[in-house]
Amino acid sequence: MAMVVGSRRRRRLQAGLVYTALIALAVIFLFPVLWVLGLSLKTRLQVFADPPLFIWWPTLENYIDVLGRSDFLLAFVNTLVVAGSAVTLSLCVGVPAAYAFARFPFTGRSFLFFALLVMRMLPPIAVLVPMYVLFSKLGLATTRLSVVLAYSTFALPLVVWLMRGFFEDLPKELEESAWIDGAGRYRAFVHIVLPLAKPGMVAAGILCLQLAWNDFLFAAVLTNNATQTLPVKMMSFSAGDSGVDWGGLTASGMLVILPVIIFSFAAQRYLVAGLSSGAVKG
Amino acid sequence: MVVSGREVARPAVVSVRTAERGAWALRGFSLDRAFTAIAVLPTFVVMLCIFGIPLLFSLYLSFTGWALDQALMGGEFVGLANYEDLMNDPVFIGSLGITFGYTAASVAAQMMLGLAIALLLNIDLPYMRVLRTALVVPMMITPIVGALCWKLLLEPSLGFFNYLIGQKIVWLGMPATALLSVWVVSVWQSTPYVALILLAGLRSLPSEPLEAAAIDGANRRQSFWHVTLPLLRPYLLVALLLRVIFEFRAFDNIYALTGGGPANATMVLSMFTYLTSFVRFDFSLGAAASWIMLLISMITCLFFIATIRRRDAN
Repeated sequence: MAMVVGSRRRRRLQAGLVYTALIALAVIFLFPVLWVLGLSLKTRLQVFADPPLFIWWPTLENYIDVLGRSDFLLAFVNTLVVAGSAVTLSLCVGVPAAYAFARFPFTGRSFLFFALLVMRMLPPIAVLVPMYVLFSKLGLATTRLSVVLAYSTFALPLVVWLMRGFFEDLPKELEESAWIDGAGRYRAFVHIVLPLAKPGMVAAGILCLQLAWNDFLFAAVLTNNATQTLPVKMMSFSAGDSGVDWGGLTASGMLVILPVIIFSFAAQRYLVAGLSSGAVKG
Repeated sequence: MVVSGREVARPAVVSVRTAERGAWALRGFSLDRAFTAIAVLPTFVVMLCIFGIPLLFSLYLSFTGWALDQALMGGEFVGLANYEDLMNDPVFIGSLGITFGYTAASVAAQMMLGLAIALLLNIDLPYMRVLRTALVVPMMITPIVGALCWKLLLEPSLGFFNYLIGQKIVWLGMPATALLSVWVVSVWQSTPYVALILLAGLRSLPSEPLEAAAIDGANRRQSFWHVTLPLLRPYLLVALLLRVIFEFRAFDNIYALTGGGPANATMVLSMFTYLTSFVRFDFSLGAAASWIMLLISMITCLFFIATIRRRDAN
């Protein structure tokens, strides 16, 4: 698509301008995170230096401090358990449904699909208010299970959207020949379709994991000290008894985003598909 | 296609296999017919439990006066009183205006900056992948951590911004600058989202129309306005829809930066509903506010889907 017309000199000038603009933007976009990364590597005294220190010998004491706290490690385990369970649940429930959506017409299909879209698009706070009330009356509030169920409100629609698109792109002939060879729908699904769908399931799983990991609102309302997730734990460093714990806040913030950045690079190819939630195919 | 598969499969199974196996196949046949139902049922049940029932319950709550110590269905029916309370609450009416203004201003800036970045990234030059990766970082990181980074940058006494301009401005403590800060953070956070969708769009456009325009003597500005932009329309629409929906429900940034203050200047609807329900524990009023949010976002969603469908039909 990109076309560059003109002399070589003009072209080189243009390339220079493009790089300058993009590098300037990249610096602006990355700066807040890099600044906080810098803060997390400073001692308490260095953080309060005025004017701010730009060159200093980095220290890992904040990280050692945070990682040595049992409540931080507990929050890490909670996040892993909750996000992992929500993704597993959504995949187990959503993948067969996505396959049915892609292959077989049934009554209520478009209604159900529209309901899934609505579920993905509606403000989470609107589901959270009644959910909190119902969960507290059922004795589920502040349990990890309640957070897993809450996360399914966004993970399940995402899995069904993405996997439906994936199944539609798989050639039908493979299952059809399995049916002709006498395999039932179930055997064809388990032995032929699922192995082919593995890349799609991995992608959908990573995207859901990222969303679940990043959630703050659901976890803030539905957890207590024993079940809280990492983002909630991190925010508690900014509201301690003795004011803001700068070292804890910055170091735990960086530790929260580290896995997300790794997931994202692992799933970069699928990011756009996940962002548009199947609204644009391709 | 499904029907033809079944027609081919059955006679082959029944004639070749033994009678016993034929009976199995027959039983399998009926189970097979239930395959779709069995595949969809779990999703349906989960949706009902975590989405359908809660929403219906919240509709019920919004018509009652209910407190957490009451039985689940023990609320007293109060008709539209909760909705009337909201309409008479200047903070709620203010939050409607703030939410619409914030959504419009954030999405407009994200769309324009996102389109510019997508166009730049689409130019074929070495090392573009590295730049693209750097530019999507704000979108990838946990939103509440991103907002926290900005909060530390904007800190009055130690923040980098005040050091840069040499003043001690309490950015998040004054209504105008607080709203401006929240807007900047949302533009920073979600512009990459728009840029990525539009970049995917630009990559998928056919090159022939642009070549034809060039042959016909169109300059670059003309071919951008009259060829690229119309072709990109579906992607622009999708990006717009998603940003409007997601900015409308903005919560994390505002919670971390201002908590709705100062003087309710950044009180968006999500924040209002959150404070009403989980700080003041007025679940009935919170349910009414969340149903108003639901209706607004449902109408927006339907409007956009209709626009996209109409476009697809043409």
